[in-house]
Amino acid sequence: MLTPAQKTNSAALAFLAAGSIWLLVGTLYGLVSAIQLVAPEFFNNIAWLMFGRSRPVHVNTVIYGFVINMLIGCGLYYMPALLKCRLWSETMAWWSFVLWNLAVISGPVSFAYGYSQGREYAEYIWSADLAITGAVVLLAINSVMTILNRKENFLYVAVWYFVATFLWTGFSYPLGNVIWHPSTGAMTGLLDSIILWFYAHNLPGLVLTPLATGAAYYVIPRVARTPLYSHTLSVIGFWTLVAFYTHIGGHHIIQAPIPSWMRNIAVVHSMVMAVPVFTVLANLWLTMRGAGGRVLADPAGRFVVAGSIWYLITSIQGSAQSMPELQRVTHLNNWTIGHSHIAVLGFVGFIALGCMWHVLPLIVRRRIYAPRLINMQFGLLTTGLTGFFVVLTAAGLIEGHGWYNGETVYRTLAEMPTYMGLRAAFGMSIIAAAVVGLYNFCMTVWRGEPFTPEYVVEPEEDL
Amino acid sequence: MKMTPAIVIIGSIMAFWASMSVMVIMPAITLKVEPSEIWRPMTAEEQEGYRLYVRNGCSYCHSQFIRVMDWDLGAERIAQAGDYVDRGPDLMGSKRTGPDLSQEGGEHPDDWHLAHFTNPRNTSPISVMPSFAFLGADSIRKLTAFVQFEGMLMADQRVERQRHWKEAALQTYGKDLDSHVQWLHAMVPEVWRPMPNPYPALEADLARGRKIYQQFCIGCHGPVGDGRGQAAGFLNPMPLNFTVLRRHLVDNRYIGGLLYYQIMNGITGTAMPYFKKSLESEKIWDVANYLAVSFIGYSDANIEPTGIDASYEPRWQNRFQAPDGQGLSDERDSVGR
Repeated sequence: MLTPAQKTNSAALAFLAAGSIWLLVGTLYGLVSAIQLVAPEFFNNIAWLMFGRSRPVHVNTVIYGFVINMLIGCGLYYMPALLKCRLWSETMAWWSFVLWNLAVISGPVSFAYGYSQGREYAEYIWSADLAITGAVVLLAINSVMTILNRKENFLYVAVWYFVATFLWTGFSYPLGNVIWHPSTGAMTGLLDSIILWFYAHNLPGLVLTPLATGAAYYVIPRVARTPLYSHTLSVIGFWTLVAFYTHIGGHHIIQAPIPSWMRNIAVVHSMVMAVPVFTVLANLWLTMRGAGGRVLADPAGRFVVAGSIWYLITSIQGSAQSMPELQRVTHLNNWTIGHSHIAVLGFVGFIALGCMWHVLPLIVRRRIYAPRLINMQFGLLTTGLTGFFVVLTAAGLIEGHGWYNGETVYRTLAEMPTYMGLRAAFGMSIIAAAVVGLYNFCMTVWRGEPFTPEYVVEPEEDL
Repeated sequence: MKMTPAIVIIGSIMAFWASMSVMVIMPAITLKVEPSEIWRPMTAEEQEGYRLYVRNGCSYCHSQFIRVMDWDLGAERIAQAGDYVDRGPDLMGSKRTGPDLSQEGGEHPDDWHLAHFTNPRNTSPISVMPSFAFLGADSIRKLTAFVQFEGMLMADQRVERQRHWKEAALQTYGKDLDSHVQWLHAMVPEVWRPMPNPYPALEADLARGRKIYQQFCIGCHGPVGDGRGQAAGFLNPMPLNFTVLRRHLVDNRYIGGLLYYQIMNGITGTAMPYFKKSLESEKIWDVANYLAVSFIGYSDANIEPTGIDASYEPRWQNRFQAPDGQGLSDERDSVGR
């Protein structure tokens, strides 16, 4: 008899469940932070909810807890499915799950007591860094072994992205978190910023983007019921992603005194990021050509398509923002916060949710409890995030232009309450989406109507 | 291109290492940064304060570098690579909800920081910074030490200036309030003293002044201008009670120039900061008029000497009686004379 840990796709389901829960926890911490930007004494002197401690819990829980958990869960299902085999080791995947989520739990626990390494996106304490590295290494081994033991000779593009994520992150994470300095988790001097932002941009670049792209490549052809448009575009998109994205971290610090050759590299590569972005988007959208109605009518497909549109917006923004002239106004203010939210929640989060709703019935062999609740979640998320993006971008422009016009930060602060209030309000719409999603997830697992998924031919490509 | 497992797996790893050698290994080898001319190491206490800064997420709202285009900050010192030697992590920051702190040292005396860390609204009424009272007095002392270190040797000079003038201010403050005010006024350059407020004290001017007062001054000087705002208990000397100024008018009629100068430049050594980077000329004159009218009960707005009136200013006649009861002799029409 199989133990639960050996049951096919049980680890994938665990990752998906964790992602759904962390979405709610992470966004609640987001609200706690947002409230303090409009009512700073709301949680006055409650140490564990203080802004400087709740903000990193929000950021790390949403990134590591929600999107990455959910996309790993999706991948652990679609990778073996595309390779027509089983995951090499379900037990090993469970260990990855445990290690990964211990690290995520360490966020709210350790940050609350002021145990944080303080470097943005690399705050987790040393032991959590070790757990994440361990989880990534196990996932890399598991993915590579699954590929080597596959029954289907052809490697579909989603598989490249999924396995490469762990191969890259296995190096990128310990390096960026300076794991060989356990006490500070940091280098000293400017080199620390250079390494931090190399890693911090590899987090969206080599973790979130490939996982989300892989998921989109899996869902869109299946929902559209057409083969992928172009293998060549897949290849270009994949290799240019790792070639360009890894060079652009410096655009976070081009206004700081880093060597000019690093600034030049960062700006140039931020511009040529157009290549991986547009090849992937063209490939996905041309795959949908003629089947757009079908994809948009599918609740999961709609999420993925919307995610691809957020990807377009956030990528154009990302490239443009790296230009020194524009960055004079957009850097260091709420503009950037708007940008990061449409990247993580819009692009990656939407695709993660879309792919999750697509694979969940295939994993649990139960139909979605209430497809209308998926649409409701979509509406709540879209409303919340769109409002959020508009409000934060407007606020950022006010701050950025004010400063550039010689106003002090304290003067522009007086303009912020309206925007910060609206931002918190739109945030509640996002939290409502998390609640609806979690409810629908649980009800699908427990009460969904059982069915046997029809055999679906996996997407084929022209070689 | 056929994507075999070998190409995907080995190729991905090679591509990553290629970029990493450019973006990490190359800087690690070639970046040789000498300490800049303002650099100095942190003391043990400043180091502990910096750990608190790192662990409590201060860097989410405060940057640690002044950019070329930051002329709101005056840009007296643009960040240089040599400023960050030995600092780990160096936490440049990605967002300014609050001001940049890389040159914060010596901008305020320690007692201002105690009031501010205990509750930032004490000194900065519209601040959204969290209160740090929960950290306890010892940690606030360490954080203050670190903040006073920010700017290193440049900050040390400013801290020294604060110390010098605090000593001077406390000498007269320790005697009695009137000699303290006399000393404060003596510290204002002569040309500023017999200077009336060149703006009329119209309702609109006073409303603007009131808004500025509430955003900038009320925490220390209090809602009725008696110097008993919520920060007052932390500060030594305590904030000024404006009513006292009624018996310290220059030539028994001028007060505008004194107020303007002290709001503009602050009173280094005391908790009174300079506001010239945040408030431009008219706003300072407006707030001077507001506190003169509201708390001194007399304003020298628009009295002689005057020049050609600004075209937009409506007809306004100053009917305030000077405190000696003799009234102002130069009643005049503000359009013609």
